[in-house]
Parts: sequence; C-alpha cells; structure tokens
Amino acid sequence: MTLQVKIDRGVTTSQYEIDWQDDMTVLNVLENIYRYHDPSIAFRFSCRTGLCTTCMMMINGKPDLSCQKKAEPSDDGFLTLSPLPKGRTIRDLIKAY
Amino acid sequence: MLVYESVVVMNVISTDVLVIGSGAAGLSAAVYAANVGRQVLILDKGALGRSGSSVGAVQIAGLGDFSHPEDEPNIYLNDILDSGRGLSDPSLAKILSNEIDKRLGEIMDWGLKLDQSKDQNVLLSHTSGHRLPRSLSAKKGKTGLGILHTLRKKATKNNRITTWSDVITVELVKDGNRVIGAAVIDLTTNTPYVIQSKSTILATGGAAQLFPVTSNPVQSTGDGFALGLQAGATLIDMEQIQFYPVSVAKPASIAGLCISFYHYSKLYNANGDRFMTKYAPDTLEDATRDVLSIAIATELKEGRGPLTLDATDVIDQVKQEFPHEYQLCADQGVDLAKEPITIAPASHFMMGGVLINEYAQSDVKGLYVAGETSGGLHGGNRLGNNALSECLVFGARAGIHASYETFTKTPKYDLAKLDKFLQTKSGQHRPFEIKMLIQEVMNQFVGIIRTESGLQEALNRMNAIGQKLQNIHLSDTSTYSREVLDFIEATHMYKTADAVVHSAFQRRESRGAHYIEEYPKLQNAIMHNLFYRRQGQNELRQKEVHPNDTTSEN
Repeated sequence: MTLQVKIDRGVTTSQYEIDWQDDMTVLNVLENIYRYHDPSIAFRFSCRTGLCTTCMMMINGKPDLSCQKKAEPSDDGFLTLSPLPKGRTIRDLIKAY
Repeated sequence: MLVYESVVVMNVISTDVLVIGSGAAGLSAAVYAANVGRQVLILDKGALGRSGSSVGAVQIAGLGDFSHPEDEPNIYLNDILDSGRGLSDPSLAKILSNEIDKRLGEIMDWGLKLDQSKDQNVLLSHTSGHRLPRSLSAKKGKTGLGILHTLRKKATKNNRITTWSDVITVELVKDGNRVIGAAVIDLTTNTPYVIQSKSTILATGGAAQLFPVTSNPVQSTGDGFALGLQAGATLIDMEQIQFYPVSVAKPASIAGLCISFYHYSKLYNANGDRFMTKYAPDTLEDATRDVLSIAIATELKEGRGPLTLDATDVIDQVKQEFPHEYQLCADQGVDLAKEPITIAPASHFMMGGVLINEYAQSDVKGLYVAGETSGGLHGGNRLGNNALSECLVFGARAGIHASYETFTKTPKYDLAKLDKFLQTKSGQHRPFEIKMLIQEVMNQFVGIIRTESGLQEALNRMNAIGQKLQNIHLSDTSTYSREVLDFIEATHMYKTADAVVHSAFQRRESRGAHYIEEYPKLQNAIMHNLFYRRQGQNELRQKEVHPNDTTSEN
C-alpha cells in the first residue's frame, strides 16, 4: 500500500508517495520521508508517548499529536500536514519555543 | 533569535552559570543557582523543559510529613545501597535520602501538588526494591510533567535565568584544566556561538537511544557523557545500563512505553507459564529491574517468546494509579481490561555516568553534573522512581555549588571548528544511518545478556563505525536541519557507546545490570570501572571499592 502525503512548507507544498502500513502513526510517516524521500523535511518530536506535545501539528486540518495519530488519508486522498497556525514557524512543521 | 541581557560580542555570550539540558535536573540547577543570585543561561537542544526523559517519569520516590510511619532516611538509604549491588556511592546515596524531603517541600511550595488518596492523604505507593511505600505521584502518574511544569514556570519568571531552546552543545571549552564555557550551535539559524561561563552544569539526561527500542525520548543520545569525556572528566561504571523490563513491544506505535504496574500484574511466556515463579519465586513480578530484565531476556533468548503481561485482575488499580498508560494502550487498540499486551525490555536508564563528588562536581574544575548524566549514585541498579528524586536533590546541589565559582576567562575558541557540522558532505553514510549502526551493535552485543566474544565483536564494529563517521554524506544544511542535528548527535552517541562497550568488556563478572554469560557470578572484590581521556587517548582503569564504602555505617 502507498500513502500520498502533502506537507505545507510555507512558501511551497511538497508531495510524497510512501510505503504505508496501516499501523503507522503520522510521526512514523514523517520519519520515513526524512530517511528515504527528503532529508530536508523539518519536524519536531520528543517523547513519542503523547506527553511532551512538541510534535503537535495540523493533521488533515485538525490539531493533533503526530506521535499518536494514525496516518490516514482524508477524503481528498491525501494525508495533509501543516504547522500549527499559532506562533512563529521556524521551518516546515517546526514551531518556535 | 536569542535575546540576552549580557554581553554578546563576536558570537561570545557571557554568563555566570551555564546549564546544558532542561529536564528536571537542569531546571532545578538553574533555579537554585539563580536563587543564589547568579546569572544563569540554560540551553536545550530541543524545546526547553519539554524534551528530556523527565517528561515521561511516572512517579518520584521521597520522604516527608506524609511518609509511612516507619520510613526514615536511613531505611531509604539502605534500600538504595542494597539495590546498587556494591557500586552505589554511599556518600551520594546518603545525600539523596537526607535531602529529598527538603527539596520536595520546596517544589511543593512552588506549586507542585502531590496526588491524594481517597482519605485526603498524600498517595503513597509501593515500588519494587523499596521496602516501604514511598512512591509519590503528581498529575495522576504524570509526575515528571508536573515537576517540569512547576520548574519551568519558576525558571521563566526569574529574570536572572535566560532560556534558549534548540541549541546543541558540540564541545566544552577549556583553559588549561578548567572548563570555561561551551561551543554551541543555534539550530534555528545554524549560527555557532561560544559561551563563556564561570561554571558549567551538564544535565543532558541519558543515552538510551544507543538501543533501537527505548522508553526514552529521541534526544537521549548521551551528549553529556561525550562532552564530559572530551573535557577530561571521568566516566564511572558505564556498563551499568538499566533496561525497563516490562515495556510495550506491540503495537509498534508505542513500543518502548514503560508499563509501571508490572509489579502487581502477571507475566507469561508463549507456553502459558508464569515464568517468574522460576527466576524469583519469592517476589515473582515484584522483583528489582535488573533481576526481572535478565529473566525476561533469558525467556526471549531461549525461544519462549513472545511474552505477555496480564493486568485484567488488577485493572481497577491500574486505571486509578496509571490512567495515562491505560489510555495510551486503549487508544492504540489494546484494552488491558480485556486482553494481555505483548512486552519486552526497553533501554531505560544509564546508572553509570560522569563521576561526581558530594557537591555534584566532576573531577574537572568548573564542571558540574546532575541527574542521569552523573554516575555513581545508583550503582548497579536504580530503584524505581529514584530518577526524579536524584534530579531534584543533585540539581539543587549542582546549582548551589556551581554558584561559588568565580574564575572567568574569555575563551580562545576557533568557531570555524564547528563548520564541519554545517557544510554539505559527499561521503557515503548519512548521519541517521550511523545512529542505526550504533543501535544495531549495542542491541546485538551489549544488551541485557552479554558474552565476552560478543563484546569483542562490538569493539571491532565500533572501530568500523568510527571510520564511517569520518565519511559522512550530508545534503541538507538549511536552518533546523535534521541532518546537522543527527550528525552532531551521532558523534556524541559514538563516544558514549565506545565508553559503554569498553567498560562492559572490562567487567568480568555479572553485577547489577551487567550480565555476562561466561562470568555469571559476582567477584569478591568490588571494582569500579573508570573511563577517561588523556592526551587524546581513551583509558580505562579499575578501582577497588573498600568494603566499608558500601555500607550506610561509613
């Protein structure tokens, strides 16, 4: 199975097609993109257990924790990721702390 | 961009006390140093106060007015020393057991609220290896988060403390045999800086990312051990790595999550045997982590996996005491009220670390260490919930004593040295691949059950990885480049792993968390492994522990 992923990177939007297992979280998808598709993708995470909240982003239009949220396409066929609207974005999906 | 009140000249930033790392230890150190009146700069390579292993700490062991009527510092001390298998430094253990009530009292004054039982008393729970119930909880089993929240608020309100997120330390800077600051990179702008400090406190947590399955955050890459080693400090007993015995193996999305209620649950192998009846008939699952880890690793090695944990009989207690873990498993498709969960050990805590004295001072002038980065307190096995206690007590000690340092000197450091991390490279190995290679070697040969031949192989493979680290492929040098971060972290991980493997190879006995098949018994003489760097070469020597040194009478 493959998954179509769209990432809002500010001035541009990048699209990726990745190998997809249905138990993958959004964070697993991002890690896969970093390793095998695009070393320049920037995202933040830490604890992987839903506590630190640093991996929070907009997932298919809703704020959620990328480490806990299952990776699934929305009705348009894409998993769409963008940074949280509040606060300063450093790059791609990373907010300033 | 850093907004800093002190002098910024040619990328040199000056402070009294530099704290590297902002978990419970680092934040405590910063707050106590600022309370003494010092200017403090606290750095984190991730989001400040949100990126350490303190975040996931479930409970804290401690003493206070609320303690069990029979509990007192000396009983707590003896539990720590018993658990340390002869390697705990009694002077450090005594400080922990004597000072935890004071530090807990202070953080409660600053706003931390301990969870209460139904009768409105502070909830005390039992943890394996503590002979009396002394585990405390805040935010219903999210104690680390509660402590960080309190300390973060305290730190950010104090105008003597400057916080700086997303800045990684590459090297400590020395003048002669004294640490006088650090060379760092602000990842958000890729700008190198030199920080000039009267004292420097390492509080970067542990190195559990040396293994592929871990309970720790992605940031636990051993930075403080590597920085300490590079500065000439001694690392003690680095082979003593705690594996959290009962962690989630499946579902993969929460692999490594600690199951804090294992001591009152039941563990089964694939044959349906409750295998702890064989390894620890008296305590069963309520055994210390070193004993339980070796039992679980043996079951898996001898082919009786997968192993499962059954908490269905005690689910009410689980839901009450550990609601976050219960909910996380449920959200990922495993309802512990109805079904068992597949478990395996996960790397969890470094008992070894930078050698410190009672003042949290390393053997290099100007360099202090607190929390998991320091070594010697827990010896061969850390008791559950003593990690946060250590952070509060020794964070405070480090902050207070580092404040006495007055020597300062402008570092002569060539920032161009850091350019190698910020420039594209056309070698063969991406930084994340180096990290994975280190994890493979550590997992295969330096896990719970070790062999002499395996450790020899690990030494050989580490040499090969060291060469690959000189042949890096780095394509992305934009700001906040994960490749840049991975490259620096891989460098720290390599140095730390090398110290672990050499120390493990040197210990030809099974003591605490170090189990080696050829030498399954304890040796009579208790030896510390001391690993350090002199004139560009790593060296290891053993130092005998005097028998009287390991008792509370001394």
